[in-house]
Amino acid sequence: MSLEKTILIINRYSSFFLDGIKSTLIIAAFSVLLGTVFGTLMATMRMSRIKPLKILATIYIEFVRGTPLMVQLTFMFYGLPMAGITFPDISFIPNFSRYTAGIVAMSMNSCAYVAEIIRSGIQAVDVGQMEAARSLGFRHSQAMSMVILPQAVRNILPALGNEFVTVIKESSIVSVIGIADLMFRTNDVIALTYRSLECLLVAAVIYFILTFTSGRLVALTERKLSYGRK
Amino acid sequence: MEENNGRVLLEVRHLHKCFGKLTVLEDINTTFRKNEVVSIIGPSGGGKSTFLRCLNLLEVPTSGEIFFDGVDICAAKSDINLHRQKMGMVFQQFNLFNNMNVMKNMTAAPIRILGMDKEQAEAKAMELLERVDLADRYAAYPHQLSGGQKQRIAIVRALMMNPTVMLFDEPTSALDPEMIGEVLDVMKQLASDGMTMIVVTHEMRFAREVSSRTIFLESGHIEEDKPSHELFDSPESPRLRSFLDKVL
Repeated sequence: MSLEKTILIINRYSSFFLDGIKSTLIIAAFSVLLGTVFGTLMATMRMSRIKPLKILATIYIEFVRGTPLMVQLTFMFYGLPMAGITFPDISFIPNFSRYTAGIVAMSMNSCAYVAEIIRSGIQAVDVGQMEAARSLGFRHSQAMSMVILPQAVRNILPALGNEFVTVIKESSIVSVIGIADLMFRTNDVIALTYRSLECLLVAAVIYFILTFTSGRLVALTERKLSYGRK
Repeated sequence: MEENNGRVLLEVRHLHKCFGKLTVLEDINTTFRKNEVVSIIGPSGGGKSTFLRCLNLLEVPTSGEIFFDGVDICAAKSDINLHRQKMGMVFQQFNLFNNMNVMKNMTAAPIRILGMDKEQAEAKAMELLERVDLADRYAAYPHQLSGGQKQRIAIVRALMMNPTVMLFDEPTSALDPEMIGEVLDVMKQLASDGMTMIVVTHEMRFAREVSSRTIFLESGHIEEDKPSHELFDSPESPRLRSFLDKVL
């Protein structure tokens, strides 16, 4: 391996890498966003007093966490069409069905993990906090929004930050269903240059910059919620 | 024997509480009158805290009735949130809201529930903080306070709602010994101001000297319920006698 070669590859194929970064970020951003929204919903179901909702959520969470993302993703893109379920193609967005399948699989997966993060974050708040709020006359929902959730966010945010980072990394798996993400584009460059070592190194560094930056951003938000603690 | 002829504020009738198969409270009957200070003593696991928590329905009684100001608060149609506003509660673990500073802790409920305006609530909070010598800590967060300070603030936080009765659940049990005095002093002051108080406690001196009546609760039922001096000076039941022998 040589530094020169690496720089040459970056220079000549930067458009490949940039294009890959774009796709990776699109997939990751949508997955994290949808995963958080549905994960919150799933956590609410999981903690619900309505038994069927609770059971449904528990089964979903356990199943998704207990099966590989690779299986979930390929099932979504290659499996479901055999049962007649396909993601539609939209002419003006290239590869729309691939992206949809990727994002759906990634966010359904992330949703299960986020649900558990949120649930444990809420349940980690001391029960005394709720009791004190109720004893003052607050309704359950008021106590939740004023006392419990602000404290739960403190527990949830670091773990959620980790989940964001995980999603960015795991998203490299969507290359197997033909989404031209960073991993996919890296393979393209390898095919053109036969320089696996340099190309993979470039990819690794890019992934690291992406995850490290988002990790720092989350840490920054955490500090804002420290309630006077250093 | 001092007679208290105040208006009946709380009346407990045939209160039972079970956790699964375990019976914690069995047929509790008693009344609490206005301006009365009642201590509840007894061995651990005897149901003292559960009883106190039943009074504001933090624990839902398995059966029985609790009348607060003449209204059965266990009835399905009664709004417990409304009753709780009138029943202040102080916990063993203080339970100040960790995400709010002292001022917010005190003003959140009066502002949000009673609709008091912010300035008025803050003025009242400062006045109460003054009374417990903590006016300078109004901006502190709970983790910056000592146990004794937290508990004094928990007491005045409850007072912000102008409760008609204050429930204390072992308010000094989680405190370092040197901090117990400052909390008991606040409670004594409250008692002498005429607040109706029900206090689950292990502080026998407080029970004896401050409370007008003491209830000895053992194995889920009221073993003795008498004016404090009488209960401590001439305990009748052998169980109370052996309990007092151990703790005094």
